[in-house]
This record gives sequence, C-alpha cells and structure tokens, in this order.
Amino acid sequence: MVKEECKALLDALSRVTACYRHMVLTIGGTSDSQNLREELKKTRQKAQELAVANRNKLTAVLKDKAVSKEDKAEFERLWVIFSTCMEILEIDMRRALELGQEFPLNVPRKHLIQTGMSGGTSGVAARAMSVQNMKYEAEHNIDVVDLKDLENEINQVGEMMYEMEMKVNVPQWTVEAKQDPGAELKSTISVGASSIGMISVEENKSFCDISKVLAGIIFSAVLIVAIVLAVCVVKLS
Amino acid sequence: MERMIVSMQDPDMGIKMRNQRLLITVIPHAMTGNDIVEWLIQKYAISEEESLHLGDLLVKHGYIYPLRDPRSLVLRADDSPYRFQTPYFWTSSKWPATELDYAIYLAKKNIRKQGDLIDHEKDNYNQLHKRINHTWDFVVMQAREQLRAAKRRRKGDRIVIDCQEQAYWLVNRPPPGALNVMEHGPERRNCHTSRVQLPKNVDYYKREMESCRKAMGRTRVKSSICLEGYIKFNEQYVPHDPIMSGCLPSNPWITDDTTYWAMNAPTVTPPTKLRVERWAFSFSELLGDVLGRQQLLEFLKKEFSAENLSFWEACEELRYGEQTRIAHFVDSIYQQFLAPGATRWVNIDSKTMERTLEGIKTPHRYVMDDAQMHIYMLMKKDSYPRFLKSDLYRNLLAEAVVPPETKKRVFPFMRKQRHSSPSPALLLPAGE
Repeated sequence: MVKEECKALLDALSRVTACYRHMVLTIGGTSDSQNLREELKKTRQKAQELAVANRNKLTAVLKDKAVSKEDKAEFERLWVIFSTCMEILEIDMRRALELGQEFPLNVPRKHLIQTGMSGGTSGVAARAMSVQNMKYEAEHNIDVVDLKDLENEINQVGEMMYEMEMKVNVPQWTVEAKQDPGAELKSTISVGASSIGMISVEENKSFCDISKVLAGIIFSAVLIVAIVLAVCVVKLS
Repeated sequence: MERMIVSMQDPDMGIKMRNQRLLITVIPHAMTGNDIVEWLIQKYAISEEESLHLGDLLVKHGYIYPLRDPRSLVLRADDSPYRFQTPYFWTSSKWPATELDYAIYLAKKNIRKQGDLIDHEKDNYNQLHKRINHTWDFVVMQAREQLRAAKRRRKGDRIVIDCQEQAYWLVNRPPPGALNVMEHGPERRNCHTSRVQLPKNVDYYKREMESCRKAMGRTRVKSSICLEGYIKFNEQYVPHDPIMSGCLPSNPWITDDTTYWAMNAPTVTPPTKLRVERWAFSFSELLGDVLGRQQLLEFLKKEFSAENLSFWEACEELRYGEQTRIAHFVDSIYQQFLAPGATRWVNIDSKTMERTLEGIKTPHRYVMDDAQMHIYMLMKKDSYPRFLKSDLYRNLLAEAVVPPETKKRVFPFMRKQRHSSPSPALLLPAGE
C-alpha cells in the first residue's frame, strides 16, 4: 500500500533526523572527534537519500487526481510532517557547518569545550544508518575536507525545499493533527530509564534494574540450594 | 563571551576540572564556582566583585550551568559545581530557540516524567499544541525518536545531555517571573548584515568624495531657529486639537452625541471653521483634505491651471495603484499630460521632461516622481498663496460653520449630561 510505504519512509527520515540532531549536539565538546565528523557526513547523506525518496513518493501521490478525499487529507498531513522534518534537517546542517568551522579538530591552539561527555556517538550513528556497527574509513582531516561538501549539500537541500514549496500547494493550516496533547504518554516505550541525575536526587532506574536482576539471581540460587538441602535431608532421613 | 569560554578550556592556563560523583556514575569536567571566580580574577586582573558579576553573566546567558540547583542561574563563589554548555546550545541571536524545538523538548519531558510537568510548562505545552497543531504529529514522532537515539549512549552522557537541554530551555524559556536574558528592546536593524559590501576601488572613493563635498556645501540653519519654527508650526494646531482644547459641539465619547463626527465628515457642505482655517497652515493640509482639494480644483479652474492638480492626482494613482495596471496608468498619463499636443499639457522644465520620457520606456511605479514633485512645488509656490488670498477662500471662511456648544441642562439629575468635555490636559497644570 502506498500509504504504508510513505509512512515507513517518513518514519525512517524522522529517525535519521533525530540521530543527526543528537550528533550535532556533540560537535565542539569533548566527545567530538574525526569519527564524529565522519558519522555526521554519512548520516546526512542517508538523510538526503531518504528525503529525495520521500519527496518523489509524496509528490507522485499528491499530483494523482484519482485519490479519494480522506486519502488526500492523510497524504497532506504526511506532507506537512515531511516538510517540517526537512526544515529541522536544514537548520541542523547549517549549525553543523557553523560549528564545524568554529571547532576544527587538528589545530592545537583551539581547544574543545569540556562538556562532560566522554563516550562516543557510534551507537547513535549505527541506529541512523541501520547497521550493527559503524566502520570508519575516512582520512584524518575529514573535519576540514567535509565542510565544502556540507555547504554544497545545504544549498541542495535549500533548493529542494524551494522546489517543494513551489510545486506542491498544501496549505499548512488545513492539516489537523491526529494526536491530542499527551498522546505520547500512551506509547508503550518505557523511557523512564534516563532521568536527570542530580547529586542529591538520584533515580538510577537502570541501575536498579541491574540490581534487581542480581537480586533475583541470588534469590533463586539460594532457593535452589535450600531445595537441594531439603531433598538431601529427606533422602538421608 | 565565547572566546572567554574557549580560553577557559586551555589545559595549562584554563580552569582545573574536577569530577562530579553521582551515585555510581562519575562525570568529568565539573568545576566549582570558586574556581571560575579565581580564574577570572587571575586572567583579567579584575576585582572579586567584578569577577563575580562577570561569571554570573556567563551563567545567566547559558554558557555555564549549575549542577546542584539548576533552576537558579546564579554563580556562587563557593564549591557549588558548574559545567560548560555544549556549543550547540550557546546563546545566539542567529539561531533563536524555535517553538518547534521547545515543543519537542516538552513532549520528551512529558514522556520521561509521565505527564508530570511544571505548571508553566503545562500551559506552554497546551498553547503550543494549539499554535503548531499542524505539525504536532511530527513533534510526537520526533520526541520519541530523540529519546530512542539518546538511549544509545552511555549513562553518564545521557545525564549530561539532559542537564544541558534543561539548562538551555531554562535560559530560553524562563519560568514566568524569572529574569529573561533573551529580552531585547525593539528590533534594531543590524547594520552589518544589511549593508552591501561595495568594492573599494577608485570610483567608490571618488563618489565618497563627491558626496562629502556636496554635504559641506549644503545650506545650514541654526538648530535653535529650526526648533523655533518647528514649535511655532505645532503650536498653531493647539486650538484644533480636541484633547488640548476640547471639541465643539461635544466630545462624542463622553456625551454620546455624534454631531461632531457628522459635522467633520469628509464631504459635508458647510465645512467647520477650524477645518477651513487648517487649510492655511500648509499645502499638504489642503491637499490632504477632500473638501480642500475640491475647492483648490475650483480655484485652479478659474486660473486655467487645473491640469496641474489633475496630473498630480494621476501620479498619486500610479504610485499607489495596482501593479498590473502600472503600464496602463503610465500610458494614460503620457497621453493626457505629457505628449506634445496633449489636451491637458502640463508645464514641466525640459530636463525633467527628458528624464521622464526616458523613464516611460521602462515603466514602473515611480517613473513620474520627478515630474510630480516639480508640479507639486509649482502649485505650492505659485497657486497656493494665491488661493489663500483669493475671494473663494475668503468666502469659504465666512460661510464656515462654528458648531454651537450643546446647552447645559439645568437639572443635574437628568440622565444625559451633554456638555463640552472639560479638557483633562488643562486641568492638570491648574491643579499643580
């Protein structure tokens, strides 16, 4: 079904955008590195591919006159989501360019900001690229080399968005959201694991999970030992 | 501020970092308030008070955020811990915090805290849901995706990211009543971004010299004389101002009597005396009043120079008319007023005529500006003084109506008190 395909493509684009935003957040901080810059490059190229695919599909559907009214409303809603996603992507790309220029990596006099981050972003990048592990194969000065490509890609995205505006006439105010306020609470995703940890108030739920598992194991071990002992007692007596 | 932050990072000369110990995670790169103050004193050789103030500004603008009490953005010169903010979240007017981002942040917080948002955040959330309703689905989608992406990082990094985001939104969307650092006065145009960079070659400097020379040669008037003239011009309006001098017959807002508006309607046959007097103040007053313009036209017809006013009106129509009809307007103006042998030919000097005829070949809204200005000045210097001295105008003044003041009722307990409004502005100096 065309609708399902469009939705799947849009979900993929949203996922990649979120990962890209996550990675742009870390530019200039202590977990910045050549790997991060390479991840950024790969993620944004993937995002662009998805964007082009999305655009082609959605424009084909919206131009099709044989679509029913409810379907058309649904596709318009998807189109609005898509254009918002592209706006966010473009802004993040511009910020990545600016931050990349501000914080070149191989210059000894320029120091990175000590933001407290120590881990890498390879997990996030792997999620964006839908692979298990990331492979790094770029040269060691990709942070400088990549900036030119980034500029070109920003221009491309800008042109694409302009074309989109001109070709497809979907007024944004006619689209109504399907979700009510608070709809995200009904999701089954448990994200209570990462909460803000302050020195005094600490809610280490994931830590409790590990400790719960340990406690469970110990308890069951003790139970088994008790059962074995009881059986031995019964057998010997 | 940004350079200061970057210089704080220097491993030799910068601030000494410590580790922040949470229950099991250790997060590096924390510093105490004292460290910051000491470093500022040492680096810039300033007093402690100034250094405290400077550090406080850094915190308030979001470059450093407190770890122990995140809601109070204050620098304390003791051992309370602080950390640097990531460059993405630095305060910048080039990248203002958007509503969409704020909505995504609130949605994420909603998911994390299972609906337990602070009051003003709840209000903002509902407001945003109404305002950007068309992309609300995207907001929810993106909030979920961002949380899932964050799970792929280490626990310590996740905590840091949360702290960073919270600090950023505390600066950019402060709770009601808190100091809003982002408030700035009325938008001032940033001259650096809007100026076009011209190539600084010989021509450019020649033009600069020419314009400076012209500026020096301009006639100057003493500012005291200028201001006197300005005050005099404005003072003549005092008896005409309904607030300063009350209005006859009565102020409609007070007495519910709309005679005042009826008598001063744009086209009303006996105009009020004040109105006719105003035409003598300046030419623009006369032209701006519909009745005045009619009377001027009558006068000019007698003087056989009515085509000037018609030409001026036609040019106004061109300036403020529809874009699609510009070519038509220009053509009709040319045919009626400027073509040699036209029916209502206007008398413009040859240079302006040449320029206008050139400009007509590529018509746009402002081609007739030079000619229009010439005719306007002609009317103002020539016809207008004669108009004011003419019989027509004197008759108008004589026939003009002075609206009677509505009578005061004798009985004080009548419901409608119709009286000319006492001028509130005059009461004040009397009371002082």
